[in-house]
Amino acid sequence: MTAQPVPVLGGSHDEGLARALAAIVGERRVLVRAGELRAYESDGLPGYQRRPSLAVFPGTRDETIAVVRLLAERGVRYVPRGAGTGLSGGALADDVVLLGLHRLTRIVSIDADNARAVVEPGVVNSALSRAAAPYGLQYAPDPSSQTACTIGGNVAENAGGPHCLKYGVTLNHVLAVTALLPSGEIVTLGNAAGEAEGYDLLGAFIGSEGCFGIALDVTVRLVRTPQAVYTLLADFSSVNAAAEAVSAIIASGIVPAALEMMDAATIQAVEASIYAAGYPTDAAAILLIELDGAAAGLADDAERVTRFCTDEGARAVRAATDPADRARLWQGRKKAFGAMGRLAPHLVVQDAVVPRTRLPRVLAEIASIGRRHGVEVCNVFHAGDGNLHPNLPYDASDPEQAEHVHHAMKEIMEACIAAGGTITGEHGIGLDKLPYMDRLFSDETLGAMCALRSVFDPDRRSNPGKVVPVHSCREWHGAPSARPRSA
Amino acid sequence: MTVASLPDSAEALAARVREARASRTALRIAGARQWLDAGRPCRVADELSLAALRGVIEYERGDFTITVRAATPLAEIDAVTAREGQWLALQPFGSAEGTIGATIATASWGPLASAYGTPRDQLLGCEVVTGVGEVVRAGGRVVKNVAGFDLSRLMTGAWGTLGAITEVTVRLRARPEVDRTLAIVAEGGADAFCSAAWRWLRGSPYAPLAAELCSAALASRLGLEGRTLLLVRLGGNEKFVRAAEQSVAALGTTVDVSAEVWTRLRTLEPAASAVMRLGTLPSELGTVWSAASRVVERAGGWTHATLERGVVRGVVPLGDGESQHEHIRGIIEQLHAPGSRVAERLPAPLWDSMTAPAGDRLSSAVRRTFDPDGVLNPGILAPLS
Repeated sequence: MTAQPVPVLGGSHDEGLARALAAIVGERRVLVRAGELRAYESDGLPGYQRRPSLAVFPGTRDETIAVVRLLAERGVRYVPRGAGTGLSGGALADDVVLLGLHRLTRIVSIDADNARAVVEPGVVNSALSRAAAPYGLQYAPDPSSQTACTIGGNVAENAGGPHCLKYGVTLNHVLAVTALLPSGEIVTLGNAAGEAEGYDLLGAFIGSEGCFGIALDVTVRLVRTPQAVYTLLADFSSVNAAAEAVSAIIASGIVPAALEMMDAATIQAVEASIYAAGYPTDAAAILLIELDGAAAGLADDAERVTRFCTDEGARAVRAATDPADRARLWQGRKKAFGAMGRLAPHLVVQDAVVPRTRLPRVLAEIASIGRRHGVEVCNVFHAGDGNLHPNLPYDASDPEQAEHVHHAMKEIMEACIAAGGTITGEHGIGLDKLPYMDRLFSDETLGAMCALRSVFDPDRRSNPGKVVPVHSCREWHGAPSARPRSA
Repeated sequence: MTVASLPDSAEALAARVREARASRTALRIAGARQWLDAGRPCRVADELSLAALRGVIEYERGDFTITVRAATPLAEIDAVTAREGQWLALQPFGSAEGTIGATIATASWGPLASAYGTPRDQLLGCEVVTGVGEVVRAGGRVVKNVAGFDLSRLMTGAWGTLGAITEVTVRLRARPEVDRTLAIVAEGGADAFCSAAWRWLRGSPYAPLAAELCSAALASRLGLEGRTLLLVRLGGNEKFVRAAEQSVAALGTTVDVSAEVWTRLRTLEPAASAVMRLGTLPSELGTVWSAASRVVERAGGWTHATLERGVVRGVVPLGDGESQHEHIRGIIEQLHAPGSRVAERLPAPLWDSMTAPAGDRLSSAVRRTFDPDGVLNPGILAPLS
C-alpha cells in the first residue's frame, strides 16, 4: 500500500506516524487538527480535558491489528476508546494517540442453541440485546449508558448496571476474548466452547481498563428473556426508611433483578427534565424494584417486597401497569445523570460500594458531609448491591465551589472506605480515582498490580498513567534471583 | 516440621516463603491435605502448611458475604451459614472437610455451578502470600468492586503457584425456601435425552439450581434405579417449584428424591480415583456423553454431566498397584471433547499425557512475576522445565 499524502498537519503529533496510520485506515480516519480532536478531549468524566496527539479509527479487525502493530514498532503510547461514556476518565488521552474502536460494530454470530454471541468491541450494549431478542435472549449487564456504550468498553471496565444485582457483572457473562496485546500479539483468553483451565487471564483482562490490550472479539453468554416482570415504585418520606427497606428485602433472600434508590434531589431533577417519569416529587426517597423470572410465584415475591416497604414506612408502593409505564419508570432512573445537567454546569459522580447493612449509616454520613461543605448531593444508585452514586452538581469556574466539592468528595470516599467499602463498583479507577488507590491498597498489592500489567504490556504503552499510581510501580521484586529481605 | 511451628499469620507465612527463596527450597502448600495426591506431581523439599489459618473472621448475615481464613473447612462454613438460612453455593466434588482455600485455588465446583457459577463467580477478595514472599490483598469484602487489576481472579484456579491463599471473602446466597430434587429416567437413547434436557433448560423459565445427568452405574451407587437419569434440583417459593416440576415432567416420569443425593454425589468417589472432565457446547453434549460413558463404564467407572456448563465428568476408581496405570492411560487416551479436556485427579505417572494448562507464554510470564524462583508448588500446573 502506498502512503496517501496527509493534509495540513497541526499539533504535537508525529507527521510520519499520521501518514503511516492513514495508509492503514484511510486519511479520513486519522484526525490531527486541534478542531477535529476537540470532540475527543473528554469522556464521560466532566471537568477534565486532555488533547490526544492524534486520533485513529480503524474500521476492521485487520486494520486494528495493523494499527496496534505499527504503534508497537514505533514504541508509541496510546489510549483505547469505545464510545467515550466512561465516568472515570479512563479514555482520556494526554498528548498520546487515541485509538477509537467504535467502528468495529459487527455482531459476528449469535448461537441461539447455546445462548451465546460473538461480537466485535464496538458493538453497542443495547444493540446486542436487540439482536438477541428474537431468540428469547438478552445480554444481562445493562449500564445506564447502554444505548451508547460498547461491549469492548464494558469488558475494559467490567461494567455493571442495575440488573447486575441478580444477573452479575460483565465478568460473569464473558466466556472468551480474542485479545490484541500492546505488542501486537494476538492471544485467546478463556474458552468459548469448554472449560478454561490454568490461570484465569480472562478474569484479569476484564476490568483492566485498556491497560492490558484491546479485545478484537468477545464471546458472551446470553440469558433467557424473563417470562414475567414486576416493576415496583416505593415512595418513602425518609432516606433512612428506604435504606432499611433495602436491607429487609435483601435479608429476605429474594433477589430482585434490580433494586435502585433515588433521593429527593434526584427525583426533583428528573421530574423537572424531559425524562420526567411520574416520580412523587414530595418523596424523600424512592425505590425502583424489579422482580423477574418465571411467572409462577413471582406475584408472591412482589407481595412480600411490597410488605417489606410498607413495614419500613413506605407511603405507597405501586406496580408498573404496562410495558410503557415500566419503560418510563426506568427511563427516569437511567437518564438521571442527564437530568442533573440542569442543576449546574458540572457534575461529579462517585461510585463507592459499601456493605449493604451499612447503607443507612453511610447515607446519613454523606448527607452530613454535604451540609458541612455547603454542597448539594443527589443520590441515585444500585442500593441492592450497596453501590452508591452520590452526584455533586457545581460550577467548576467558581474556585471556591470547586474546592468545597473536592473536599466533600474526598470525605465521602473516606467514609465509604472506613465502612469497609471500596472506591469503585463499576466505573473504574481511570484518572479520577487514582489518588485513592493508596488508601485502599498496600504498596505490596499495588506493586503486584503493576507487575501484572507489565506481563501484558512491559512498556506500559497502553493507557499510560491510569489505574495504578505511577509511584507505586516501583521495581516490585526484579529479577528472578532470590533476594531475601529481613522479615 | 513440628505442629508447634505452623505459621499462624500471613506475615509468618511470608517470612517462610522468603526463607525458602533464599535457600531455594521448593514448598508444597497444604491445608486439609485433600488434594496432595491430585494434580501434577510437584518436586518439593518441604511443606508450607496453612492448617493453622482456620476460622471465620467476619460474617454479617445481612451483607451475604463471609470472610474466613483459608484452611477453614467447607463443612464449617456450611454449618455457620446454615444457621442464618444461607449457604456458600459451591459444594464442589470431594469431602466437605476440604478447605475454602483449596476450593478457590483449584477452582473446584459442583452441580450448583449450574445456577451460581464457579469459584471465580463467588470470590470477592482474598489475601495471598505470593511466591515473592509478600502479602497481597486483592479485591475486597463488598459484592461489587472494580478497583485496580483483578488479582483475585488470577489466584482462582492457580493451584497456589502464584501465591498461597491465606484468607478469602466469598458471596453467600439465601437457601431456597423450597428445595426439591427430582429424578427423571432417560427413556430412549441417552444422547437424545441429553439434547432434550438441554433444550428444556435453555428454553424454560424455570432455571434449576442444578441439573445433572447421571450414568446408570452412578445412579445405582446413588441408591436410585440403575438407569441413565437426570437429577434436577429446583429452588424457590412453593408456587415456582410446583410449576417447575410440572414443566420438567415433559422430559419423562419424575420421582421425588431426597436432597441427600447431592451429598452422596459429592462424596461417593474414593480419593484414589482418576477423574477427567470433558467440555463442549451444551447443545453438543450428547455426543461427548455417549462416547465418554461407554469408555468409562467399561473401565468400571461412572459419568455425570452438568448440562448448563457443557461438562461431562468421568470417574474411574483405582485399585492397588501400578499395573493399573497403563490401563488407565489407555482409557484417558480414548476420552475426547471438542471444547476442553481437563484432568482433575490422576496417578502421578500419567500426567505426562495431559497438555499443561499454564504452558503458554503469558501464563509463564505471570508465574515468573509472582513466583520468580518457583518455590510454590513447582510443577503442579505445568511440567518442571
